[in-house]
Amino acid sequence: MECVVQGIIETQHVEALEILLQGLCGVRREPLKVHEICLKSGPNLGAVPSEVRLICNLEQTEPTWTVRFVGGAMRGAGAEQLSVLVRTVIESKASKNVLRLFYALGYKLDHELLRVGFAFHFQRGTQMTVTVSSVNKMPQLHNTDEAVPVTPGIQLVEVTAPASSETYTEVASAVSSFCEYLAPLLHLSKPGISTGVVPTAAAAAASLMSDGGGTTL
Amino acid sequence: MAAMEGALQNQPPQPLQQQQPQPAAVERLNDAVQQQLNLKSVKDRATNLFKNITRILEDLDGHARTNTTPKWQDLLSQYSMVNLELFNIVDEIKKVSKAFVVYPKNVNAENAVVLPVMLSSKLLPEMEVEDNAKREQLLLGLQSLPISTQIDKLKARIDMIGAACESAEKVLADTRKAYCIGTRQGIPVVPTLDKAQAAKIQEQENLLRAAVNYGEALRLPPDQRQNPPALPMHLVDVLGGGDGGAQAFPEASGMYSKNTPVSSSNLSGQSPLMQVPGSQLLGRSAASPGGTSITNFDNTTTSPLPYANSPRSGTNIMNTPSPQQQNQQQKQQQQQQQQQQQQQQQQKLMQLPPQQQLLAQQQFRQSAMQGLGQNPLHQLHDLQGQAQQKFQSLHGQHQMQFSPSMGHQQFQGRQLPSGHVPHGIGQNQLNPGSQMNRHLSQFSGAANSALFNAAQTTPNQMIPNMSATMSSQSLLPRMQPQFEMPGNNPQRSHASQILSDQMFNMGATNTGGMMPLQQQHGSQGAFGNMAQNAQNLQSNMVALQGTPQNHPNFNQQRQQNQQQ
Repeated sequence: MECVVQGIIETQHVEALEILLQGLCGVRREPLKVHEICLKSGPNLGAVPSEVRLICNLEQTEPTWTVRFVGGAMRGAGAEQLSVLVRTVIESKASKNVLRLFYALGYKLDHELLRVGFAFHFQRGTQMTVTVSSVNKMPQLHNTDEAVPVTPGIQLVEVTAPASSETYTEVASAVSSFCEYLAPLLHLSKPGISTGVVPTAAAAAASLMSDGGGTTL
Repeated sequence: MAAMEGALQNQPPQPLQQQQPQPAAVERLNDAVQQQLNLKSVKDRATNLFKNITRILEDLDGHARTNTTPKWQDLLSQYSMVNLELFNIVDEIKKVSKAFVVYPKNVNAENAVVLPVMLSSKLLPEMEVEDNAKREQLLLGLQSLPISTQIDKLKARIDMIGAACESAEKVLADTRKAYCIGTRQGIPVVPTLDKAQAAKIQEQENLLRAAVNYGEALRLPPDQRQNPPALPMHLVDVLGGGDGGAQAFPEASGMYSKNTPVSSSNLSGQSPLMQVPGSQLLGRSAASPGGTSITNFDNTTTSPLPYANSPRSGTNIMNTPSPQQQNQQQKQQQQQQQQQQQQQQQQKLMQLPPQQQLLAQQQFRQSAMQGLGQNPLHQLHDLQGQAQQKFQSLHGQHQMQFSPSMGHQQFQGRQLPSGHVPHGIGQNQLNPGSQMNRHLSQFSGAANSALFNAAQTTPNQMIPNMSATMSSQSLLPRMQPQFEMPGNNPQRSHASQILSDQMFNMGATNTGGMMPLQQQHGSQGAFGNMAQNAQNLQSNMVALQGTPQNHPNFNQQRQQNQQQ
């Protein structure tokens, strides 16, 4: 399971957000370049199509593949009160043949996207990952070199934290308290719920980018 | 004057009583002073202020004792209120402080220390020294100049300081506005976005979120989903030259017809013993059911040819796994000796009562599995395809666990260790299971026993393991055209099939239970029957109740196919 929240930030403020995250997380940023291929199962595999995501990490010289299955979100009154989304996730590393494997199983390509940005992996009560990336689409199949952003002026910010059925409440509260620190720049919410931009973002970004200001007497 | 002011400031709550006129006659302040200062109101204000400060201090104390974090915003606002009030009171009194004098009535412990300082007209020696030092510092370098110059310079300094203070105030105000904190006494000014801009951003945001979460706006039209002109580096070797997109492997039929030559090329690190079984199997598949005497148990079991002839291959189930089949063949050849031993054991098994047979089979299987050490999970694919076959093969006394027969034709050519051919049921039902058994037995000992043990335990736990093991191999789409698996997790269904295969392996003796399975449409009666006979399977069977629904369908399909 994982707890996840998403938010958006204007591209012009991404640098300021990076500075803020650097200060909050205490770890170095890691570049992120991920080719995400989303496959849907064919009719031979059941009446209800299932979706599987293959994630190819292009950052290293040797690309690594991960299989990711995102399950349904937790429902119920308790889930509604949480400010984060808790959902089942199954992830596994895979060899580079995984795409062939799934095609052989009968999965078909549904869509693909390329995420380019950076990520912070840190511990703050619980293991957390913040990714800031621009989501790019490919005009032709698999053509990652010519990917263009879906929304040029806006990038996606995602905070995820792994959880289990026993620990998800603590993890959720840790994630939401971390998100409060990002409040001057952006608001984060459950995926699917839009937040808009924050009015103080410009000023907050300006102050983050400045070197402190003030005049010496 | 300074002392007086100090006295006033130090004693705002109290001094007014001392300053009031004597009690005998209600004396009044000088009228002039009274206009400037409403003494009573000042006193009331002072007492109120005193009460507020005491209350705040008590709150803070409470916070400190209970170790709770106070709400700083509230505290800060209260502090600012109190501060402001004090400032105002002092300001008012300052206006008329010249009219008042500190007139102590008596000396007591309380004011004994303070009185001399208050009444003195000269500074204390220490204070005087401090004063002089500060004056020196201030007039450094200026004392030599004429007074007027000194005055000018000091004025300039004051102006500079004043300007610095103003700029600092400005910066503070700007930052406050930007962060929406608000001015000291004003309401926060929230910078609002232009409406049009906000709408545009909202639209973009919806687009982005939809793209990331649901894939909207990212789907290419079908005509653009052809082979890409140039594949990126990480996909070049994955997708090869031309089978990008959702293409099934098209090699199936070709492989089947010429399995032997292809097999050797595909098998990596396996001894190329494929040739023999291929030809033999060709011959076998044509044989009539039960007609041929099966002398070489091993050879009958593994050929992929039956796929080509079996009804399942006709339905394109056996699309791709030719490398697997070839691997099977190799494995089978390598296991010839083991299988011969197994045959003998099987014959013995046949004659045991069912439960004992079951146990014996389990042991048998495990021993066979330990003997096998190759391509552990390759056979899993076959398992999936053969789940149904497994069902049927276990019917009756026929225990073909280690004789993988694929389709009735294979069965015909196959060697039945006990010679019990349950004609009543028909060969269709017998074949698949044996093939499955064979494949299972060909797994590596570790993998197989892992699967086996997993099957013994909770099937639910099994399924993720199965998925893991299965995903580590290349799953071939053998099942695709035929198998309509309800449920949305293909891995799960595969796993369930494998699981049930193993279950059936274990319950091989309970072939009676298999029968209703074949005849019932989607019924789970078979499982119930199975459970009756095999107690150790009971829990597993119950757990499998949900999954085996595939099998009846498959059975049905197979029957239909075979009949066609």
